Amino acid sequence: MFALIKLIQSLFGALHSEGTEGQLAAGIVLGSCLGLTPLLNLHNAVIFAALVLLNVSFAAGMLGWALFVPIGFLLDPLFDWIGHQLLLAESLRGLWTSLYNTPIVPLTNFNNTVVLGSVVFALLFAVPLFLLTRWAVVRYRVTVGERVRQSKFYRALTASKAYNVYKMFRP
Amino acid sequence: MKVKIFRWRAIGPLLVLFVIAGILWWLFADTIARRESQKVGTQILGAQVEIQRLHLDLRHGKVLISGLTIASPHEAFKNLLQADELVADIDVVPLTEEKLIINRIAANGLRFGTPRATDGRAAATSGDGIAGRVLAETRDWASQFQIPVLQLATGKVSIDSLDPRRLSTIPAATALGARADSSRRAWRAAFDSLRLAPTLDSASAALETLRHARATDLAALNAARQAIDRLKRARDRVTALDRGVRTGVAELQAGLAGLDSLRRRDYAFARSLLKLPSLDAPEIGAALFAPAALKPFERVLYYVQLARRYMPPGLLPRATTGPSRVRRAGEDVRFPKERALPAFLVRTAELSFLLHPTSEQPQRYAGRLTGLTSDPALYGRPTAFQASGPQLAAGATLNHVRAIPVDTAGASVGGITLPAFDVPGVPLTLDPGAGTSQLGFTLNGDTIRARFAIRSTNVRWTRDSGFTNSTIGGLIWQAVSGISNLDVEARLSGALHHPDLAVRSNLDQAIASRLRAVLGEQVAAAERQVHDRVDALVDPKVGPVRVRVNEVQAQAQAQVAQQRTRIDELQKNLEQRLRQLLGGVRLP
Repeated sequence: MFALIKLIQSLFGALHSEGTEGQLAAGIVLGSCLGLTPLLNLHNAVIFAALVLLNVSFAAGMLGWALFVPIGFLLDPLFDWIGHQLLLAESLRGLWTSLYNTPIVPLTNFNNTVVLGSVVFALLFAVPLFLLTRWAVVRYRVTVGERVRQSKFYRALTASKAYNVYKMFRP
Repeated sequence: MKVKIFRWRAIGPLLVLFVIAGILWWLFADTIARRESQKVGTQILGAQVEIQRLHLDLRHGKVLISGLTIASPHEAFKNLLQADELVADIDVVPLTEEKLIINRIAANGLRFGTPRATDGRAAATSGDGIAGRVLAETRDWASQFQIPVLQLATGKVSIDSLDPRRLSTIPAATALGARADSSRRAWRAAFDSLRLAPTLDSASAALETLRHARATDLAALNAARQAIDRLKRARDRVTALDRGVRTGVAELQAGLAGLDSLRRRDYAFARSLLKLPSLDAPEIGAALFAPAALKPFERVLYYVQLARRYMPPGLLPRATTGPSRVRRAGEDVRFPKERALPAFLVRTAELSFLLHPTSEQPQRYAGRLTGLTSDPALYGRPTAFQASGPQLAAGATLNHVRAIPVDTAGASVGGITLPAFDVPGVPLTLDPGAGTSQLGFTLNGDTIRARFAIRSTNVRWTRDSGFTNSTIGGLIWQAVSGISNLDVEARLSGALHHPDLAVRSNLDQAIASRLRAVLGEQVAAAERQVHDRVDALVDPKVGPVRVRVNEVQAQAQAQVAQQRTRIDELQKNLEQRLRQLLGGVRLP
């Protein structure tokens, strides 16, 4: 329940923050990478650091993560298939062999079918997701955004302590 | 408005986060490594791997393992080995490539075959993963051998359970009887269709006319000639029918011979209901010792096949099941590269262990393992193991460097107490006591050659009290109870998927000759009884059929012969009369 409330807080907090649509969309995209790919991998440490260090919406990142975790689970068979096709492709064998024998790179588990498939999918999905999210945020803000901001529900939401924590990382 | 790219104020919290992660790693690295080692070890071996304590000292490139226990993949409450302490010197730099290179392992306090409280078989219970598949394959392989069963007659010889419906002769006799009837009808119809009566009647009339005719009576002469032609054609038809009758008769006779063959099969079937003991020495050896002798072959084959899966030859990419996690595991694909380090390598392992550790004079042994690697083609040398000590010599080589792997193993262990076992099919328990056991095993590609031998000079026999009234059980007891030496040898050779197994022991001949001497008469009497019983069931069916077949045969042949004689006689008379009338002159 707490997670759900946090998610809703994040959603509205992000939508009504002073961040630009681009910052929100970039946050969602980085969060989607965390959610779509298996979490405990080295590339996700880099993505998390980027989410924290880059001036993107952290809340949108958390929102994207939460939204895309179940999608990641659902799409695991697809990721497995993509990874299989890429890793066992004759033409790419040289690339994978040299990467596999390069220090640090194998620690990313790129040679796992699900990891590679999900990373490739997340990268390809990033651009359309960014554009779609940015368009959606713009539409929200010009249509129902102001009415929501005036609502009791929104005030109650932003009054909670959790919102204060969120504000620390807002753009 | 210019948007800043970096959020500099977040560097502090991020660093704090990384420091916390570092502290957590420092605190829990040993535990994580211990759990992962247990998990990976269990997955690879198909048996529970337990580690009491693991300490990583990456600064000095050392890993210390205390209290290692590896359960047996085959026996529920037994350990494969236990080790008090293992110290491994590892190369730290290859860890950045996710490669584990162990320069040296020193293992102390190894113990083998110790009991355990819980079932440690992982592959046998789950059947998952490579180990599970290999275990199932080796079980299937071991179950393919047809081991003869030494069955003993435990009471009065009786074949009351002989069901006439299970005898092959009776339905075959019924079918043959029906075939004889159908042949009789067919031949009668064929005979009728010859229409011999008009031909014979017209020939008789022509002969009669010719008797009173003169040489100038051309019409009578022509009629006689035409009658002869008709007779010739009729004889041809009779000859054709005769050929058909002969073929049919031969088939019926073959059917009768087939009944005899089926009767012999019925004798064998009825004999199998008697549970008479085999009197053949090689069969006795296989029945007594093959199940026990197959076990070591099956186990060695399991480890060799595991090694072939985890240490394949060549440098092609290899896919294995990925790590278990909440998300789908997927597959990990490894990409070995020439002149690079293998993913896993133990350069040297020094093993020292005790046998009989609780005795007053425990025996100390030493072993050495070299070149255990996941990529033999990269390491370039076979994996070798050797161990020696008082009354022990063991060695193994896993050569997967070239395309066709060659695996060999050999061991000779003396002075160890071999486990007692129930001799299959016989109410006896054999306790070999302290003896010598030898194993030789070679798997060259898919060709297997293996030998297992047990020798003991102080064998003890125990008779199962439940079979004290069994006559044959008692005879076998008499034959073997005085034998204190045991010499068993099992040999396996041929293609791995279908090898030949031969088992012999010094008991085979003793048991076989004893059985033959004492049971020969009994067996012969029982077999006579079997024959009589089968005959009693079969004869009432076969006898009438035999008579019917002979009747049909005689009837058909007599009918053909009779008609042929009549035709020949008429033709002869006609021709004779014609010669008399013409006085040797041939008319155009």
